[in-house]
Amino acid sequence: MSEHDESFAYQNFDTILRQMMQELGVSRMVTNYRIKAEPDAPYFLISLRLGKARASIKVSDMALVDASPDGGKITITDENWAPALLTRLWQQYGRDAVEQLTRYEIIVHGATPEALSSMELDPGEELRNHVLDAVWRIFPEGFKVRHNLVDDQVMTILGTEHDLKEEWIKIAEDLHEEMHHVKEED
Amino acid sequence: MYEVLLFDGGVYKINELYELIEDVGGFVIQKTQVQVQITVTLAIPEEERPAIEAKTVELGGKLIDVPLAGTEIAVVAPTLGRHHMPHPTCDIAEQLRRAGAITVVMGLARGKGRRTAQISADEKAVIEEYDAAVFVLGNFKDCILEHKVKLFEDLEVPVVAVCGPEIDDLPSCEGLVCGVGRKVERMRREEEIHKLEEVGTTIEEVVRQKRKELDEDPLFVHPAEIKDRIAELEEVQRSLRPAPIVLHLDGLRVKIPYAEWKDQIAAVEVYGRRLGDIADISDSRLGGSTLIRIKTRAEVESG
Repeated sequence: MSEHDESFAYQNFDTILRQMMQELGVSRMVTNYRIKAEPDAPYFLISLRLGKARASIKVSDMALVDASPDGGKITITDENWAPALLTRLWQQYGRDAVEQLTRYEIIVHGATPEALSSMELDPGEELRNHVLDAVWRIFPEGFKVRHNLVDDQVMTILGTEHDLKEEWIKIAEDLHEEMHHVKEED
Repeated sequence: MYEVLLFDGGVYKINELYELIEDVGGFVIQKTQVQVQITVTLAIPEEERPAIEAKTVELGGKLIDVPLAGTEIAVVAPTLGRHHMPHPTCDIAEQLRRAGAITVVMGLARGKGRRTAQISADEKAVIEEYDAAVFVLGNFKDCILEHKVKLFEDLEVPVVAVCGPEIDDLPSCEGLVCGVGRKVERMRREEEIHKLEEVGTTIEEVVRQKRKELDEDPLFVHPAEIKDRIAELEEVQRSLRPAPIVLHLDGLRVKIPYAEWKDQIAAVEVYGRRLGDIADISDSRLGGSTLIRIKTRAEVESG
């Protein structure tokens, strides 16, 4: 334990995590969290219990899909999904096959309209990235050596300045396990 | 001792104010005119303030205290990363500018972390060019007391440390303000504004102390007296930088290249002497600037 009283730091980290999540629009995504820091060791540990993301959505629910001479044409109607759609199309068909005509119109060469309509977009991945972004933003900048424990429900990140010790990893694992059993926002 | 004030008013009969300032032995540091409105930063002997106040009332202007006018202060954060910047570093810098200081915000190259936090000799030399430095530190008491304090322990300029946790005593600094810490948004709540004011008053106290020390062994001339003469140099007039000449407590920073202009600057005449004889002129660590440190009266007379 640190010989100094670090209550200010805990309170401050609590505030900045809340503000950061609000800024990135992921407050509802995180249902509970714990921050443990031992500046004397030193390590910094943060564990987040993740809530459920929006249900996945079909491309046909957020865009109109038509046939085009050499593939399918997508006209986006709900722009909120556009970044996720583009990423997904690039992953599946490659950047060369995806041609963005305007802000709302995309032509996918070599894809059938049926395949495009039934494609599903999962918002979970994108939100997880936002949560991760919030964590990087509050994590002490010098603590570059990191150890991550991530599953569908809990994300635990441990960081330090030099070598990671087994005992800290154990503390992180215990906290990770504990977070699976905590109630929402206690 | 000189007192620095800001006159805020109209241009009507402003020459009367300039004449009075000259009569009482003061100087105009800076004039900023916007159409018919003008703000004048002036330095006068403190016992002459009532005369200036009376003239201000006569001209229908306002006289504002700018205790930090004529100083250049560095606000230093451990890094330029979003963990330390822009809040609250920029808020503190703005607070100091409101009190009349010229500020520079600086991030260290390797100031992050705990044991890994360090400051290079170059960075120290840059900070030494300013009248005072504010170090904006973080949340952990352990980290500040054991490690971050090393960042400023060798600095000769007065340092004010700003940090999160309540600390009774921090070595190597002339002032300490606690209760700020890391922020992810601007400091605009009431208690945060009070904190900014506290930082402002702490710096003012540090600057006042430094002024007092300078008064014990007074400078040969006040920096503001040299400013007017240097402002006549062609290169300074051509300079597009917002403040081509910046006053320090014991000299000036002229933002023209040292290598090309050192001889012309040294040749400027001040009360019958060459500037080169009554001041040390050197190259600034910040590119394209020249530093002038005025010698004390004793130094000039004995030399």
